[in-house]
Amino acid sequence: MSILHPQTLKLRAWAPKSGWLAWRNYDFQLTTYAVLLTLFGLAMAYSNSVGSTHESLTLNSPFVRSIMWAVVSIVVLALTTVFDYKWLRSFAWPLYLINIVLLILTLRIGVGTGEAGTAARWVVIAGFQFQFSELAKIIMVLVFASFLADRQDRMKSPWTIIGILAVLGPPWILVLLQPDLGTSLVLVATVAGLLFMAGASLLWLGTLAAGALAAIPFVWSHMADYQQARLLTVLNPWADPQGAGYQVIQAQKAVTAGGLAGKGLTNGQVALPVSTTDFVWGVLAEELGLIGSLVVLILFALLIWRLLVCSWRSTDPFAMLLSSGMATMIFFQVVVNVGMVIGLVPVTGIPLPFVSYGGASLVSLAAGLGALQSTNLRRERPEW
Amino acid sequence: MSITSAGNRGELNNLYRFGMFVLVAGVAVTTLAARMFYLQVVLAPPPAVVNTTNQATELQSIPAPRGLIYDDTGQPLVQNVVDFAVTVTPIDLPRDKEELVAQRLGSILNLDPVYIETQIDAATGSLYLPVTVADGVSAQVAGFIQENGDALPGVKIAQTQKREYLTKQLFSDVLGYEGRITQTQYTQLKSEGYSPDDIVGQAGLEGYYEQDLRGTPGNQTVALDANGEPIPQLVTHGKDPISGDSLTLNLDYREQAMAAEALAWGVQAAKVKQGVIIVENPQNGKILAMVSLPTYNDQLFADGISGSDFQKLLTDPSQPLINKAIGAQYAPGSTYKVVTATAGLSDGSINTTQTLTSQPFIQIGEFKYWEWNRQGWGPLNIYQGFSYSSDTFFYQLALEVGLKDLTYWADQYGFGKPTGIDLPETATGIVPTNAWKQATQNEPMYTGEIMYAGIGQGFDSVTPMQLLNAYCALANGGNVWQPQIVKSVTNGVTGAVTEIQPALMNKLPTSAANLQVIRVASRQVVTSQHTGNLVDVPIMIAGKTGTAEFGVPDKRGRLPYHEWFIGYTPANPFVDNFTQPDSQLAVIAFIYGANTWGNVATEVVKLYMSLHYKTISRLAIMLDRRTPGYIMGWTYRTTNFYGNSTRD
Repeated sequence: MSILHPQTLKLRAWAPKSGWLAWRNYDFQLTTYAVLLTLFGLAMAYSNSVGSTHESLTLNSPFVRSIMWAVVSIVVLALTTVFDYKWLRSFAWPLYLINIVLLILTLRIGVGTGEAGTAARWVVIAGFQFQFSELAKIIMVLVFASFLADRQDRMKSPWTIIGILAVLGPPWILVLLQPDLGTSLVLVATVAGLLFMAGASLLWLGTLAAGALAAIPFVWSHMADYQQARLLTVLNPWADPQGAGYQVIQAQKAVTAGGLAGKGLTNGQVALPVSTTDFVWGVLAEELGLIGSLVVLILFALLIWRLLVCSWRSTDPFAMLLSSGMATMIFFQVVVNVGMVIGLVPVTGIPLPFVSYGGASLVSLAAGLGALQSTNLRRERPEW
Repeated sequence: MSITSAGNRGELNNLYRFGMFVLVAGVAVTTLAARMFYLQVVLAPPPAVVNTTNQATELQSIPAPRGLIYDDTGQPLVQNVVDFAVTVTPIDLPRDKEELVAQRLGSILNLDPVYIETQIDAATGSLYLPVTVADGVSAQVAGFIQENGDALPGVKIAQTQKREYLTKQLFSDVLGYEGRITQTQYTQLKSEGYSPDDIVGQAGLEGYYEQDLRGTPGNQTVALDANGEPIPQLVTHGKDPISGDSLTLNLDYREQAMAAEALAWGVQAAKVKQGVIIVENPQNGKILAMVSLPTYNDQLFADGISGSDFQKLLTDPSQPLINKAIGAQYAPGSTYKVVTATAGLSDGSINTTQTLTSQPFIQIGEFKYWEWNRQGWGPLNIYQGFSYSSDTFFYQLALEVGLKDLTYWADQYGFGKPTGIDLPETATGIVPTNAWKQATQNEPMYTGEIMYAGIGQGFDSVTPMQLLNAYCALANGGNVWQPQIVKSVTNGVTGAVTEIQPALMNKLPTSAANLQVIRVASRQVVTSQHTGNLVDVPIMIAGKTGTAEFGVPDKRGRLPYHEWFIGYTPANPFVDNFTQPDSQLAVIAFIYGANTWGNVATEVVKLYMSLHYKTISRLAIMLDRRTPGYIMGWTYRTTNFYGNSTRD
């Protein structure tokens, strides 16, 4: 018989189970890898800010802003870690609605890259650009995890797949309208990864994949010219060296110029488009060389491994799916971002997690990792 | 933590699916790492080998900054901006790769690959000399090409300068433009250190003052690495380039803008395209404004004009590339009567008291030579004859003076020969003589032709510049000055300013009194209301109108005609006194091929004078229905004359 009041017991349930002992379950490796990757990101932001001409830093430079966002991210990470993740599950659907509202807001008042003319990707809040589609990635992982956790008993049903696609639909279309092909691909990849990890019917997943392959010609004919050109240039960048091929040629040149040891931070010389975000890997490879690149790739591999370990250990299906979803999302972004810079994958606007400059991306990742750590802290003891 | 704890998890945390994920991720990350290894280690460029014992070098030319051009208040009309040119050195381009390189360059530069190949193949010089295939390339494209030297053998970027004209089209006809040196120019200029790839001034001041503006290019020796690429660290300086001299013009931006505004209104009102306005100071021959319409955008040339654009300008029937103030000649019409009057007064054929009787026509053989109003005014003295512009009066005077004297005085006024203006003067007009007629048509001048010669019809033809300069001589008491565009030349190195002194071409061998008579008569042109309401403006203008029929009659038998008006004001433009040769301002307006009731050229001069002496407010121009400006205000809204869109 506890001496505590029942109401107090209820409150205690929200907090980690057994006080400071719970922190034994905190995955320090995971946080360490993320912090190291963020430090690489800060180094890239610094290099991009001062450039090879060593300009002085300004308050608006990516480096100063990155530091600011890193601090914000640490706070977000701490808050979400302390916060009981089970609340997130109950808030999944309201968050889904807020997400859709934010994406509509982006379409209405967003500012674009100007490249495609009508692109609207950023919302400017108090002088800071914020990309809500980055937030959407994390929120959607949450929503998908919640959806699938609720349907564990009907996992093999095709309706599970149809249902999750219906959930995916609205935000996916809103993201495509921006148009942000990259994020929409990340969403699809996350859904696919989650369905696979949640144990959905392989037969139906296979059928769906076959259907998607069959739909490629149709989708192709409905793509904007610049999107088609981007996809084609991976085959032959010299077909359009001034347009879509330019980025590919420049990026590979930057990577090649790096060599084994790299030219050293801020010594990169190859002009790269969007060098702070989509093509940050080109800068990294040129300045830090193969050694630096491999370190970063290994850090990513370790990070994904820790996410999977976290997923494997969890006893709560929602928590397990949350980390699986995070793992899929980060894995997909790394492969596509690095792959497009080194000419393996068509160019799509996908940032490199932690390394690319972007407040929304970093804060969203911090929130996701914090939620994961929260699941670690609140994990029920496995029955030995 | 052991995987045995998976026992109670059902479908979730299926070991097989985790394994698959790890496998896929492992393969993917390994693939990325392998590709990085391939790119960064296998494909990594070899370090540049600097062969210091047997160093290959290259002599590079450093272009000199071209001299600038300023208006008389020091406002720059042109500046130099950095420009990139793409060159191909044939010796460095393997034959079998030429097509590939041309294709790649073509897609980079948006050019036809065949055109690029032709450019390379057509180059006649040494195989070691770079051939320019494109000018005016953006810094981004230039950087891209430079960084992709491996994919584009033989292709190099040359950093050059180009002109940026700062006043849109306003000064195009005066400033001219630059262009690639032609074969004939090259053979002429080779000895002065020009190369077959140079850009030289081709028209206007850019052409006339090419030698001053150009400066002297410098050079440097650059060591080459094993791949034939220059090593920036190993540059040996040779000669420093010497900047070209800068020009300061007599032309004034505001005067030019006002003149252009007035003329643009005039051609619009007459529904024609071509016209000229020139403003000159009769006391020293300084040109204050010179506009020829239609004009062209000289920035097109500076940016490297496309073949089709150039063809369009060349084949345009209104010939926008020709500065019609000095490059085309027209029948002067009644304005030429100044020559006949001067001749008559100087050789005593007529004096101020004598009269000649104007008639509806004068018959020579079966031909009738008509008075312009087909009535005549009866007996007229020289003042009336001049101010009414009586054709029959001047027919008779011309016959009394005789062809020889007419030609003599035309020559004295500067007709039929270059004015000496510092622009490429391609037309010199015609003063018909018996010798000229014999040479061209193998017969002497007939009586009727001599009569026509006395009123500026028939064979007479002049350039607007000659005509204005002749009236300036009238206005200043007989001095034929050389018209001068450039006020001073500033040395590009020392900054020393050399003022260009007015050059007197001729002194009219006639008495001041005779010229005073014609000046007073030319004031009566205005006061007799021959020029309509020009007398009503508060500025005292004297001048002479002219209309000259030319070309082919329309369906109703009417010929199109040129409209001329030359007006000048006394030193104090608000006091009606033309007895003194003290005029400071003379303006000529010329409208080509008009078909209007009144003389539009007069209205153009009226508008220009009103703007110059500020006797008309902008508001009045916009609101007053009676002024040309009212229509101008209307045209302001519908046309964008000096805006970005080019005028047809």
